[in-house]
Amino acid sequence: MSDDPQELPEATAHRLEELEHGLFTSDLSVNEFLLIKEVGFHPLGFVMGSSIYHTGIQTRRWGQSQELTKLTEAMYNARELAMSRMEEEAAELGADGVVGVRLDVNYYEWGKDAAEFIAVGTAVKAESGVSHRNALGKPFTSDLSGQDFWTLMQTGYIPQGLVMGTCVYHIAHRGLGQTLGSAGQNVELPNFTQALYEARELAMTRMQDEAGRLDASGIVGVRLEEKSHQWGSHTIEFLSLGTAVMKTAGEVTLPTPTTIISLDN
Amino acid sequence: MPDAPADLPEAADRRLGGGPFTSGLSVPDFAACLQMGLEPVGYVQGFCVMQWGWYGMNSPYRQALGPYGGGSSGYLENYQCPHGMVSAEHRAWGQNYEQTWIEQAWGQGFADASHRMIEEATAAGAHGIVGVVDSAERLADLGVLEFHLRGTAVRVLDGAPPPGGRPWTTYLAGQRLAKLIEAGYVPVSVAAAVSSVRVWAYCITEYQLGGSAGTWGGGPGVSEVTQVASARMAARQIAREQVRSQLDGDALHGAQMIVSEDEVGEGDQEIQCLLRGNRVRRFKDFDPVPVPRPTVRLG
Repeated sequence: MSDDPQELPEATAHRLEELEHGLFTSDLSVNEFLLIKEVGFHPLGFVMGSSIYHTGIQTRRWGQSQELTKLTEAMYNARELAMSRMEEEAAELGADGVVGVRLDVNYYEWGKDAAEFIAVGTAVKAESGVSHRNALGKPFTSDLSGQDFWTLMQTGYIPQGLVMGTCVYHIAHRGLGQTLGSAGQNVELPNFTQALYEARELAMTRMQDEAGRLDASGIVGVRLEEKSHQWGSHTIEFLSLGTAVMKTAGEVTLPTPTTIISLDN
Repeated sequence: MPDAPADLPEAADRRLGGGPFTSGLSVPDFAACLQMGLEPVGYVQGFCVMQWGWYGMNSPYRQALGPYGGGSSGYLENYQCPHGMVSAEHRAWGQNYEQTWIEQAWGQGFADASHRMIEEATAAGAHGIVGVVDSAERLADLGVLEFHLRGTAVRVLDGAPPPGGRPWTTYLAGQRLAKLIEAGYVPVSVAAAVSSVRVWAYCITEYQLGGSAGTWGGGPGVSEVTQVASARMAARQIAREQVRSQLDGDALHGAQMIVSEDEVGEGDQEIQCLLRGNRVRRFKDFDPVPVPRPTVRLG
């Protein structure tokens, strides 16, 4: 598979053709659907992209904390491929963006070192006909729910893209000498503090660099996920994710909230 | 922007030095903060990795041994066997004691991580940090505990610098923070403490926990496990006192208490009580909120 939309699988091409004729699919709840319509967008279809990626191996030094750059690149490229294929499907539909994006990684028994990276979401388009594509001319992506999308639009910001940064890091084992040296004391281990700090900051900086390329003013909903996948407890992937946003209007138009009291049980 | 502290990693220095802002706030919290005049400037964090849970001959644990094994300071309670039996299997005495060295180490790890998070916020020119999340988790199989505090640094639009130039911190964000301010309070800092009490069971406790108190315990089959109940009460009380000592006359808002226990041997337990909340200070009289509108959900 390449980046060329002509090479989308036959079933996908057939599904997208049906969607172009007005039938739409979406995994939005009814409330999300109504709120997206309320801010002037219409769902076009459920879009997805996937990539099965061989993550390979990289030599680790037993007693040294270090970034495993090959694994970092593999984890990043695989997600990027899945995301770009999902964007491709959205572009085929003429969408302005994709909301409710979920990124998952699945492992299968048949491929020990391979993982399937999947990106799914609902493509949307502005009913006004005004383009809301991002600075790169692509449909924006976002992991925001319909409710979050509505709220964000009220604040004068618009999503530009789901941005991410990753860093696969090997945490050193402690030798007997190191362990005995501080035995019996609950003390800080500054080398470990600094190494983990560095790893998370690298992931966050890479995410911020992605947002910079989209000319975004900020990133909301940042979260840091940590997973060891299948590498053992000393190798951790730090994944930073968030939705890059751009300020479009000067004023915050969110109405003043009303206090309510529920009469339900 | 003020100079970044020298010990920030290069990546953190670069991230906080410019480019798009980062925010860990959810969209509703982000919107509510904007409405309050709080502008996110960056996602900030602080870490501290502490060696944890191994006590050798030179440890404070060993140095602090009391007559029955308990610490020489803090809460201590002894339990004597009523049976008058002497046997290797029979636990003729028991003890509850406060593990002050664990409490102090936890306090140091939390305070260092918090201090580093505030350093990042200061470097970003923030007035405060909202939506703070803390965790203390074991890392790999290293016998270490990692303290991690993170939150979103914010600037108050047209606001004066924070007192002493030190940003305030709070677990609250969005509408929860708005309601606090509406009620006449401002956030000062997050406050948290852990208490740790070790239960060294004596014979009665051992029988009660093993379900044979009616036969060997000399009492009814269903009764309070006095030693464990006393340890749990003490753990709560110590955590409360420790947090109170951090408040310096201010109030604690939104307190959360989590009591957990680890079995460290038959009948023996380590009881930990974590108490965290928001240290807040009154700055104006309470303004009654608008009368709420009754609602009924149709779904």
